[in-house]
Amino acid sequence: MTHSDDVEHLAECSACRQRFAANVVPFDPAARRGREREFTSVAGRLERERDESSDVVARYLRDTPTDEWSRLAEMPDLRNNAALEQMSEEVRRRLHRNPREALAIANLSASIAESLAPSQYPSVVLAQLRGTAWKDRSSTLRYLARYDEALEAAERGEEALAPFASLEHDRAVIRMVKGMILAQQEQFEDAHQILSECRRVFRELGETKRYIQAGMAEANMLYREGRYNDSSELLQDLLHDAISADDLEAQARIHNNLGHSASQLGDFASANIHFSEAVAKFTDLGFVAEVPRTAFGAGVLLIGKGQITAGLARLREARQEFTAAGMVDEAGLCALRIVETLIERGEDTAARQLTQDVIDEFTAAGLDARAITAISRLRDAIEVDDATAETVRTVHAFVRDIGTSTAT
Amino acid sequence: MAPEAIDDPPADLRTIPLPCSVDENVFARIYEENCGLLVSLAVRKFQVPTVDAEALAHEVFLSYLRHAGEVRDLHHWLIGAICNASRYYWRKHGRNVEQLDTDIAAERPDPRSRNVLFDLPDSIALDEVLERMPPRWAQILRLRYLDGYSIKEIAEQQGVTSKYMQKLVGKCLHRAQEIFNGMRARKDQ
Repeated sequence: MTHSDDVEHLAECSACRQRFAANVVPFDPAARRGREREFTSVAGRLERERDESSDVVARYLRDTPTDEWSRLAEMPDLRNNAALEQMSEEVRRRLHRNPREALAIANLSASIAESLAPSQYPSVVLAQLRGTAWKDRSSTLRYLARYDEALEAAERGEEALAPFASLEHDRAVIRMVKGMILAQQEQFEDAHQILSECRRVFRELGETKRYIQAGMAEANMLYREGRYNDSSELLQDLLHDAISADDLEAQARIHNNLGHSASQLGDFASANIHFSEAVAKFTDLGFVAEVPRTAFGAGVLLIGKGQITAGLARLREARQEFTAAGMVDEAGLCALRIVETLIERGEDTAARQLTQDVIDEFTAAGLDARAITAISRLRDAIEVDDATAETVRTVHAFVRDIGTSTAT
Repeated sequence: MAPEAIDDPPADLRTIPLPCSVDENVFARIYEENCGLLVSLAVRKFQVPTVDAEALAHEVFLSYLRHAGEVRDLHHWLIGAICNASRYYWRKHGRNVEQLDTDIAAERPDPRSRNVLFDLPDSIALDEVLERMPPRWAQILRLRYLDGYSIKEIAEQQGVTSKYMQKLVGKCLHRAQEIFNGMRARKDQ
């Protein structure tokens, strides 16, 4: 039995836990009672604050102009653990759709956490609050591609936790973000070391969900390094964990990424199976946007690898799903990818017809007139045999950028 | 690869509030039922001094409060947390080894075993063998074969079952034999 097996067994066997704890450490009963009292009183206090502060952050954010959010740091009812937990949740919610607002909230949170009175909570809890606030700031800066600042914020978080041996869980959460930043900066060796260590910590804590997330970040990094075999091997391991944990979303994402790795390794049969699994699982989960996005990513990759028929089938499937989900702009962009391939294959009639379909759909949906004009010009160019794949790519980029700028 | 699939910060990094109103008795029970175990783990498995081990265990409990809503298996989490805390403790105190990881610890002899057999006729060989063994294994062999403790007594002292201790003693002996054979082969060369 190895050391870790031994510990694993202790977690599962109450008889062995009792035996292990028996007659070893002579406690000072008074000191122990004092600690226990501190623990229960802090537990009670945190919970009371949660009860008393329900949605206080959402209310303040709603009632205050965004550019004045920094002033909220002075509000007494926001200066506690419960409010900081809510801020962290608000950051998470906004990360994808409005990272700038997320950053403003993360800054507010860091400002509050750093200025709480030392007597307000035990020092270990204060360190956790500061660590989480800096982690949120780091995450949002990473989303905004401000990597140096993101790294700095992650390191501030690590500093806050450094004096406490017991905060390896919190440390691993911050370091996972740091690992992702380093991977994006292509500092693969450091990123690899950090993410592997995070996985070890999460595994030991029985935190399967985070273990899988750290593993997926590591697999993604290996993929970006071009180490497709290593990436695939790690993803296969993670898939077992995701299945054991009954985590359907993780399974779907892992299958998607396995599909990409398999495509890069030239194993298109396996890639198709994984993509189909990903689509099926996203469908089961009701993730209407993820289903066509998975098929779209698969289609683009397969075409890039010369698997034209399989790739086109995936793109058509994606277009149909985007349309069914009412995502007209995404369906149009997907159609333009198909048009690009059709033109390369000399199937101009089909390409022209599909372009016309997109014009009709965009017009009916009242989308940006500039996009419709650009696609109309593309249709005309196809008509007079003057369009190349490059022309389609240019129009695709233009339409996509209009969509992005409109969205923000 | 679709970067959005895996490159985003995990969606659930949030701290989830406790699922129901707090019952301080529940927390008191958690503390009472697990405090001894955590301190024992830090002391026995990682040789953290008792006073520091108690402080570490207390910090682990306090840190648990902000993770309580997301912890699926309390014992698994607490045990993992004290093991990680003990390792960090030693990193901060300049001993960058996993105390009981047999492969790593084999490279770092237990100072207490250095002179334990100084006066015995086979002291040099025995001492060398013990020095090359993980500290805990060396200690078990000393207890069993030099100090004369029974399997049951050592099992009680180490907090494991007699059956497991029997197996462990067998493993220790096997490892000692391997080390001794390796030493003899080197001398013969």
